[in-house]
Amino acid sequence: MRVVIAEDLYLLREGLTRLLLAHGIEVAAAVASGPELLAALLAERPDVAVIDVRLPPTLTDEGLRVALEARRQVPELPVLVLSQYVEQLYARELLIDGAGGVGYLLKDRVFSDDQFVDALRTVATGGTVLDPEVVAKLLRRRSAEEPIAALSPREREVLELMAQGRSNAAIAKRLCISEKAVSKHSTSIFAKLDLDPSDDDNRRVLAVLAYLNG
Amino acid sequence: MHWTIMGAAVLGGWAACMIWFCLVLVRRIRAAEVRAMPMLRWVGHAIADVFGLPAATAVADLPGRHAYLLPLALCLIALAVWTFAPRGLTRMAVPVALIGLGIAGLLRARSYARGEPWPWPSSYGFATGTGGSLGTYLELVLIQSYGFVIAGLWLACRRLDHNSWPGRVVLREPARRSGNRADRPRWGLLLIPLFGMVVELLGRTSWLDFYWWDATLTMAVGAAAVIAIIRWPAVAADAAVATLLLFGLYGLALAAGWPRHVPLPSPYNDVVRYGVVWVNSRSSSVLAGVEGAALVSFGLWLLPRALDDRTRTLMRSAADAELAGRVVRLTRTRADALDTAAAELRRVERDLHDGVQARLVALGMSLRAAERLIPVSPAAAACLVAEARETSLTVLGELRSLVRGICPPVLAERGLADALRALALDAPLRVNMDIDLPGRPDLPVETACYFAVAEALANVVKHSGAQQAHVSVKHSDGALRIAVTDDGQGGADPKRGSGLAGLERRLGTFDGVLAVSSPPGGPTIIAIEVPCALSSPKISIS
Repeated sequence: MRVVIAEDLYLLREGLTRLLLAHGIEVAAAVASGPELLAALLAERPDVAVIDVRLPPTLTDEGLRVALEARRQVPELPVLVLSQYVEQLYARELLIDGAGGVGYLLKDRVFSDDQFVDALRTVATGGTVLDPEVVAKLLRRRSAEEPIAALSPREREVLELMAQGRSNAAIAKRLCISEKAVSKHSTSIFAKLDLDPSDDDNRRVLAVLAYLNG
Repeated sequence: MHWTIMGAAVLGGWAACMIWFCLVLVRRIRAAEVRAMPMLRWVGHAIADVFGLPAATAVADLPGRHAYLLPLALCLIALAVWTFAPRGLTRMAVPVALIGLGIAGLLRARSYARGEPWPWPSSYGFATGTGGSLGTYLELVLIQSYGFVIAGLWLACRRLDHNSWPGRVVLREPARRSGNRADRPRWGLLLIPLFGMVVELLGRTSWLDFYWWDATLTMAVGAAAVIAIIRWPAVAADAAVATLLLFGLYGLALAAGWPRHVPLPSPYNDVVRYGVVWVNSRSSSVLAGVEGAALVSFGLWLLPRALDDRTRTLMRSAADAELAGRVVRLTRTRADALDTAAAELRRVERDLHDGVQARLVALGMSLRAAERLIPVSPAAAACLVAEARETSLTVLGELRSLVRGICPPVLAERGLADALRALALDAPLRVNMDIDLPGRPDLPVETACYFAVAEALANVVKHSGAQQAHVSVKHSDGALRIAVTDDGQGGADPKRGSGLAGLERRLGTFDGVLAVSSPPGGPTIIAIEVPCALSSPKISIS
């Protein structure tokens, strides 16, 4: 797997490069600014890009803009966007094309390198990974008024993990229940939310998000 | 044949003048030369600049038989001056020309009264000199002459108004009545015609009769008057008013027949020359009384407007009170702004001290303990390191919320519109957004407005029991206008909580205001208005 990294802080850039190398992932380019990133993405065509939201020269949401621009030029180019904070607004902008291959995580998640690399691989294969904090916000927002209130606590847990891009197997492991139970829960969730059940992880996540954001 | 060609040439000349005038006018309006005053007024000035002098000449009938040729020539000259000369020169050209026309009329009256020959046609305006009595002709000429002088002076006064002068800083002040300091030099100009009238009255012969002593004395007093007008405008204004009153009273006395017992030296056959009216009979003394009454009325009208500075301070109290109120408000909002900033800093300091710093100490201690444990018990050490990692996550979370409280990242990155959209997405109830902002306000204004809306929405969530809220943001008439409406139970009292008062103070720093309407039963509307300009629009992805 080939990766392009965009991060303006030298220490973090080097740290990320080393972390990925340690997991046997090839780093095609590590850049420090928005224009360099766009050039690298178009030249290298990596399997996935790890992008910090705030990049020079504007030091605003340059990374996010470049990621969206690159996906416009290279459809379905997988991007994993990292940030010191997460916003539903940005998550929506990343997800709006419905193509998948999108990740949006807090930088803190890098601490758990195994999970981080898992997320990276999910995104590279066209999956969708959202930070638990974004997912929690999404669920909190609608909980008061909508059919989501009809979900049992367990079903809510399953839904949260689903929105984070986890497969049934991963959810089963995390909640210490059988995979069969997970699929039972998810069928029930889809029924309650009136969604089309599907085995495809990405489509599943997008369906949930589309419903929540509706 | 000759007259046909002549008429065609004159008409063609006028048409050319008009076209020239319109072309330059349009070009100047396009070049935004009109910013110092309203455009209609400016166009009026331009018309007066170009056509005032020819029109006045035509009215005075100075050219006589060659009617329209002299006005046409003057119009060409005025157009040239108006088009090419510095603006200051143009401004004074018409008033000076009007005064000149008036003086020409006075000279004509003088030479007529003396029976001296006169080079120009005998008509002056509507005084034709052919019919009626000679006395009537003289009166008509005098009335028109003074009319021209007064019109010229009035125009000069108007144009001495500092806003009309090019190159000056234009102060946009609220509309003011006359009578304050800025207007005083104008009244001083009245000294000049008054001085002329007094000289006439006293019969001390002036500029035409070269009796050396008289001429020198007249010129010295005249020069003193001019210097006074320029150097001490306030004194000149007071002197002008005093002279006006005394001169007017003298006219009333004339009507009462008093000066018959005080013979005045006069070279003109017992004629008392009182301004427009030359008194030599009972009926003309009545006219002098009328003129005197008019002058006294004018003087009385002027009196409160040209009094000393102490009186003027009273007259100006409205404007001063407005300024004083502004100073009080600025002082208060500045103090509020400093207090708010200081309180904010204290909060940040406390959060850093109690949260981040303490946790970093704990982190260091855990790492040190792990360091010691590594040789002894690697498993326990790993446990401690994992704990340290958890602590670092907590620290990051705390820093995140701290940063959000200072300046939300979306606000810094995207501006108010997207920051409010993000706020609406995070709110636990449905918030409809209606944002129409073509650009971005300054960051401090954006921040204040953002926190105002955030606080308002938090109140909606906490107190109103509303199902949904509506936020509308727009910029019109130089102000950012925000309204937060909810469908809750209403009854919010802005005096009770400290939140709204704090917001009001924070917005007050930018001259912003916050209004709350919350009848029991709802709906609650919070309206915010902050005067501000928008910067150029930024491209936004949404």
